[in-house]
Amino acid sequence: MDKVLKVYKLDVGYQKTVVADITLEVMPGEIVALIGPNGAGKSTILNTITRQLEKLSGKIYIKEKEDKLVNGEELSTVMSMVTTQRIKPQLMSAREVVATGRYPYTGRLGILSKNDWEKVDEAIALVDAKEVAENDFSKLSDGQRQRIMLARAICQEPEIMILDEPTSFLDIQFKVDILSIIKRMAKRENIAVVLSIHDLEFVEALADKVIAINDGRVVAVGRPKEIITGEIIEDIYHMQKGCGKTLIDGLRGYSDALYKLINR
Amino acid sequence: MILQKKTADQILIIFILTVLLVILGLISVLIGSADIGVKDLYAFFKGSGEDFARNILLTIRLPRILAAVIMGGALAVSGFLLQVFFGNPIAGPYVLGVSSSAKLFVALAMVFLLKNGRVFSSFGMIVAAFIGSLISMGIVLIMAGKVRNMSLLVVCGVMIGYICSAITDFVVCFAEDSNIVNLHNWSLGSFSGTTMEHVQISLIFVLACIFLSFMLSKPIGAYQLGEAYARNMGVNIKALRVILILSSSLLSATVTAFAGPISFVGIAVPHIMRGLFKTAKPLIMIPACFLGGAIITLICDDIARTAFAPTELSISSVTAVGLAPVVILLLLRRGER
Repeated sequence: MDKVLKVYKLDVGYQKTVVADITLEVMPGEIVALIGPNGAGKSTILNTITRQLEKLSGKIYIKEKEDKLVNGEELSTVMSMVTTQRIKPQLMSAREVVATGRYPYTGRLGILSKNDWEKVDEAIALVDAKEVAENDFSKLSDGQRQRIMLARAICQEPEIMILDEPTSFLDIQFKVDILSIIKRMAKRENIAVVLSIHDLEFVEALADKVIAINDGRVVAVGRPKEIITGEIIEDIYHMQKGCGKTLIDGLRGYSDALYKLINR
Repeated sequence: MILQKKTADQILIIFILTVLLVILGLISVLIGSADIGVKDLYAFFKGSGEDFARNILLTIRLPRILAAVIMGGALAVSGFLLQVFFGNPIAGPYVLGVSSSAKLFVALAMVFLLKNGRVFSSFGMIVAAFIGSLISMGIVLIMAGKVRNMSLLVVCGVMIGYICSAITDFVVCFAEDSNIVNLHNWSLGSFSGTTMEHVQISLIFVLACIFLSFMLSKPIGAYQLGEAYARNMGVNIKALRVILILSSSLLSATVTAFAGPISFVGIAVPHIMRGLFKTAKPLIMIPACFLGGAIITLICDDIARTAFAPTELSISSVTAVGLAPVVILLLLRRGER
């Protein structure tokens, strides 16, 4: 199968480099989790992949095509995203917010066809948000909003989805909900997902591949079991020797339970 | 299904507003100091009738009414575009000082040209107003980079407006030419003295800007979700921002060039229309704001010219009384959150 996203020797940052020398390959349906402390540059990496930021150097390939050959409109049919930035739409129902994801497929004036609305409703059904679809978006709870933003990214029919901290500010139930939706969607629709996440206990249950980042570099890349280890956790979070292992041992039991919840 | 009903309702409201505007236009033609009845109007449209009535209609009433419609609509759309740009409903060409700075530049250019014995063309007035608008817009944008709070930005804009008005007063006061006497009325905002030529040229500019904005409804709608998501959709953010600023400035400059600064239409009408149409989508809001701005400005101008006839009020006095409370409500409601 072809790699849907490939990052080669990428340096990201603003004027100064925040994270250097990132190399990564993502296959369709694969879930890649970025872990690392606050300020490590996880969002900077994701923002560079979604072109919110210019890359400093290195290469990004979208479906084996160098990214400078993929224009913004083309990219919008391949890659969708959910950021941490809160949107403030005026007088829009949740369903109308989801509908903005159909942008790349509508005509000059952006009017949705019947087929487009069907895709919107499918995406809403996929995130279990039917009952709030007609509610005012700005009056939804954080968890509901996150579902709607996810539905919006889904109905954009991407092959790659970039999610910046999709579980932050959510309670445990919503975290499980959102992550199981992401997993279901990735496996069922064969969408590649790159996301950043702070909840280490979920990583094993969720991800196929993990990238650990700290101090401006990629510390380790591998399968969750290889990365979520005492040593690496101590390294990236600057913990005392021994603490990482205790933490991971504690998380293990919890992880198994979460695995069942997320993959139900 | 629910959405389709919403769209049907919105189209119905647009239709009702259009009918209302036509009826109001006809009524406005009939009211005024010279006695013109339905019969005269009928004769006028048939191409016959007395010269006196024809004359009044062609040179006074019609240009004035058309100007109020075109320019009122232009101001409301200009306000809507600025609100999209700032991502905030508290914005408009008048409250950000853009209209007053346009006024200052028109006054300066007029005085300068008259001193040199030259006549100021309609096109030249628009150019001067546009330059003035862009300068104050530039200042507002620089300030917007420093203050994130929109209410504070509006206070700064109002202050810029005061400064520009004060300088305009100096200019008008010290200019002795008798032609400039007219400047005094104009500088307060008035549709009196508008000619058919003004109507024609403003119509061209206003239609061009509104058509352009309407055709950009799709990217404008995406921009309302925030820059990041718009960029992800492939919207060229820089180009869109430039177009928003240029077309909103050109719209309000066209109005100011001929009618002077008209207060609060740009900020209040989009707010009223959002409430009426229950949406902020540009595809609906651009035509809705044009119609709403036209209707409200036409009513205000009718009041300005007839309430205390033969004395005329400035249009801004009327719009201020009617619309400033809407702005206050808007500010209060945002403050509550």
